[in-house]
Amino acid sequence: MERAVGFILLTLVVYEVMKKLYVRFYTPLLLPIVTTTGTLVAVLLWFQLPYQTYMEGGKWIGRLLGPAVVALAFPLYHHRQTLKRQFWPIFQAVCAGAMIAIVSGACFSVLFHLNKKVLFSLLPKSVTSPIAMDIAKEIGGIPALAAVYVMIAGIFGAVFGPPLLRALQITHPLGVGIALGSASHGVGTAKALEIGKEAAAISSIAMTLSAILAAFLCPLFVSVLL
Amino acid sequence: MKRALIIAVQVAGLYGLYGIGVWLQHWFHLPILGSIIGMLLLFFLLMSGVVKERWLGDGAQFLLSYLPLLFVPSTVGIADYLSLFQGRGLLSIAVVMISTVMVMTASGAIGQWRAKKAEKETEIHQETKGMNG
Repeated sequence: MERAVGFILLTLVVYEVMKKLYVRFYTPLLLPIVTTTGTLVAVLLWFQLPYQTYMEGGKWIGRLLGPAVVALAFPLYHHRQTLKRQFWPIFQAVCAGAMIAIVSGACFSVLFHLNKKVLFSLLPKSVTSPIAMDIAKEIGGIPALAAVYVMIAGIFGAVFGPPLLRALQITHPLGVGIALGSASHGVGTAKALEIGKEAAAISSIAMTLSAILAAFLCPLFVSVLL
Repeated sequence: MKRALIIAVQVAGLYGLYGIGVWLQHWFHLPILGSIIGMLLLFFLLMSGVVKERWLGDGAQFLLSYLPLLFVPSTVGIADYLSLFQGRGLLSIAVVMISTVMVMTASGAIGQWRAKKAEKETEIHQETKGMNG
């Protein structure tokens, strides 16, 4: 019990400090989710504490994720006009993204001779972790490993996505939102929230759509081609 | 203090919607996650005016401002798989990164291209309408 409260407080304090650091230096490498995760992992390793022990407290913070996803209905609602006007462009772009995610993941895995269990675990990496874990289980991957690849895709996209998109002159809120949502799910959407409310609304649509698409496409792709 | 109470009550309300979403998912064996069903549900409730924005708005704003924090417990799970960052595991991480860049570039570019095209079409449409009228 005390340990659980301790881990919750530790997470909150580290996050607040890292947020301050990020505001002070404002470089993508100091994104609070990266630095907070890094610090906590270092603490666990230093004291040789297993992840399970951390989760006695951590799960209480994670539990708020469900209602937070529900809260994404608000940016969606605020941008309902855009949503209505732009539904087809969003749908087409997200479809393309979901297919590229699966095909490129599979092709490079084969190219690099990764074993099948790893391939099946990384195939759903572009969608939010609870769904990705379900998909991985269904196609024969390892759910916990799938969650790790999801986090790598999320963090990598949140850190390097915005500069990449700027370099490619993708600055339209619709392009930015779709890119972050379909490649980096919730972590990307959290980053989009920092860029602007419209990009965030579109990012949450993109992440939802791509999760639904991946839940259909991954098993289909595996059963047909692998 | 009063504001904190309002936020707490509204977060509880959002939690309730999440609970309904999870329940619907299990009951109908849907392939969509409960939280996403809850989000769609709230969206339709707002659109139809059944739920007013001020009933849940502050709580939602509060949760969304802490969104990255809420992912931290799951990202810390990487601690159990640090061996991935050595040897062949690195290749799998490279695959994830390359694929992420490809998805981001393609979906972003297609989205922007289609959006701009759609905007242009509406403009032309409005112009012609203006000329006729």
